[in-house]
Amino acid sequence: MINLDKKPKAGYAARRRLFIAGFLLPTFILFCVFTVYPLLRGLYLSFFDWSGGSETMNFIGFGNYKDLMNDDIIPTAIKNDYFLVFWKVILIMLLATFFAVSLTRLKLREYGFYRVIFFFPNIISVAVIGVLWSFIYNPHLGFLNSFLSLFTRKPVETNWLGDSHLAMWSLLPPSVWAGIGFYMLLIIASILGIPSSLYEAAGIDGAGQWKQFTKITLPLIWEQFKTSIIHIVITTLNGSFIIVKLMTDGGPDNQTQVLGYYLYQMGFKQFHLSYGATIGVLILILSIITTLILQRLLRRDTIEM
Amino acid sequence: MNNNLRKKATGGMALMLVLMSLAGCGSGSKETTTQPTQETPTTKTETDQPKEETKDAPAAEPKVSGDFEIQYFVGGYGDAWWKEMLGEFQKKYPDVKIKESAGSQINEQMKPRWIQGNPPDLVYIDGAGSNETQMVKDDQLMDITDWVKQAKNVDGEALTDPLIAPPQDYGGKNYTIPLVFGSWGTFYDESLFKEKGWDVPKDWDSFLAVSDKIKAAGINPYIHTGKYPYYIVGGLLNSGFVSENGDNPQILKDQEANKEGSFKNDAVAKTLQKLVDMRDKGFFDNASFGITHTDSQMLFLQHKDAMIPNGLWLENEMKKDMPQGFKFGFIPSVMQNPGGKYIAIPYTSNIAIAKKAKNPEAAKAFVEFIFTKKAAVRWAELTGALMNVKADLESSGASDVVKTAMKYFNGSDTIVAPVFKLNADLEQAENDATIALLQKTITPEEWMDRMEKTAAKSR
Repeated sequence: MINLDKKPKAGYAARRRLFIAGFLLPTFILFCVFTVYPLLRGLYLSFFDWSGGSETMNFIGFGNYKDLMNDDIIPTAIKNDYFLVFWKVILIMLLATFFAVSLTRLKLREYGFYRVIFFFPNIISVAVIGVLWSFIYNPHLGFLNSFLSLFTRKPVETNWLGDSHLAMWSLLPPSVWAGIGFYMLLIIASILGIPSSLYEAAGIDGAGQWKQFTKITLPLIWEQFKTSIIHIVITTLNGSFIIVKLMTDGGPDNQTQVLGYYLYQMGFKQFHLSYGATIGVLILILSIITTLILQRLLRRDTIEM
Repeated sequence: MNNNLRKKATGGMALMLVLMSLAGCGSGSKETTTQPTQETPTTKTETDQPKEETKDAPAAEPKVSGDFEIQYFVGGYGDAWWKEMLGEFQKKYPDVKIKESAGSQINEQMKPRWIQGNPPDLVYIDGAGSNETQMVKDDQLMDITDWVKQAKNVDGEALTDPLIAPPQDYGGKNYTIPLVFGSWGTFYDESLFKEKGWDVPKDWDSFLAVSDKIKAAGINPYIHTGKYPYYIVGGLLNSGFVSENGDNPQILKDQEANKEGSFKNDAVAKTLQKLVDMRDKGFFDNASFGITHTDSQMLFLQHKDAMIPNGLWLENEMKKDMPQGFKFGFIPSVMQNPGGKYIAIPYTSNIAIAKKAKNPEAAKAFVEFIFTKKAAVRWAELTGALMNVKADLESSGASDVVKTAMKYFNGSDTIVAPVFKLNADLEQAENDATIALLQKTITPEEWMDRMEKTAAKSR
């Protein structure tokens, strides 16, 4: 009996293992080739002095890391990165939640139309967004100044992207505008997953829209909410390069410098590829630390329906 | 059983990681160790080549054969000239098999091959992602010091004789030959100046005087490309350095060579003071900061601004957007004190033979083939710009601005500074510092200290 029992089990286990491996291995190999290897290679490069063009590399140990500590531009770049992270998280989550709730809970008739409109920036390529907003900001010919001039006696000639105090703030609207749609859809999806009976019951008990939002909606979409925040943080730390490259090149005088663009500038424009790799390591470390802290801060008891 | 699987998986992962990192180390150390062994034979052949060539120079000509690969960037000048030259070269040497690696992204595309030590034979260095100073630093280009001295073009002239700018000097050695020659300067609309009765500035005082008038007329006197500050550095600042240095362009070569004090001295201080005066008089269009070359040039064409620092390519670049009646005027420099000479700050795009060229003979033959007066006229006609060969362009299809510039270069009132190129770190620092100075976030003193600090770091 025992024998009979064991045999099919062993065969089943082997097949199960094979089945799992069939899914794991290809992904794992791709993951190694496209993520683990570049990661390690970058780490390895950061210990060398390499221009990115020569055939030789000199091992300099922690030389690049020492330079990183003494680089005046790095603190500015980190500050700007977290400036973007902070405001993007707040503005995108606020607006995306607001739109998602109004579209689902307020039963607007134009639901489909608005959903498309808000998601539209996500389909446009970032390059187009950058160029579009550069036109909007153009000091003489731009839409923004022309619009503001309607309300003033003297034509407004604010140089939004060129002023060292305004430039960083000016990068926010395009980044937020481009981000809202996606997170709005995530939140809409999770709101639609909440049974309407909960709201009906709350309504009967006399809870208003706000109470329903804070007591029902928010706790039940918290997982998506958390995921969205962490996703915004990671993509901002890794991807703010694009908007900076398209709109300011880090200028004026590094006032809009972010780590991602500084990596590119050092690696490919100033021919210090290994130093660029070192900046990449810094970005990785900062991303990990920030994500861990956020995970901690956003932890709540999961509420099951 | 689950545990077992996990153990195996983690073991596999760990093994993978170790293998990966080893693979990384392996290729890295190979790169470093093979270098010296390969270096010796190449240097040997280099020193041997000129001798060989002089011995059998006449007989060497038909010897040109085999594969010949040329890399050239295709940008504002197009590729018509290259196609034509390569076509004629092919006719002259039918045994050569030409391979063209060309395009607007070619520098990036070819980069891996340069790193692997498998470069093309000849390279035209221009466009994004290219920097000849860096290529020399990376030991990618062939030392042509001896060859270029005795080389003759296909017309039998000495190769270097008709050149406007001689091959760039890197510590006594030559690696590149300038193919395109141009100059930075100040551009204005001749028609507008005539219409308003403004005098074209001849020196710093008349520049300030006319700027006052222009400002009074409600137009911004001066706009520049704030996003790419090298335009104002090239078109305004550098000429000022030379003027204030007693018309001695050595200051630029010293800056290029990272010499101590080359960024902090009287000449630089006085030039920066001029810039500050301009700033404080409100001559700069506030729109300059943060805008691209296209945007600044559009504003200039729309007469929102009267003058712009730029390069000789400007007219060609903006041809399609030129309003009717607009006529480009060009002055090499405005920062010279009264009675001082014009300073022309040149820019060049160079051609070079790869150190590891597989067919250096063909590369040299092609260089000898293209550095002729005839080719220079064709270049002017096909691109509207100047090739680095003194040729009679009056009858050619070169643009008017280019012809005016040529007259300045040939006149005795103009000093043409030698070709120089700061390393990328210094260039970036100078761009940043100049913008900061114009935005009043730093003083001239801080500008000089910043530059000296960067120069010290590069030494």
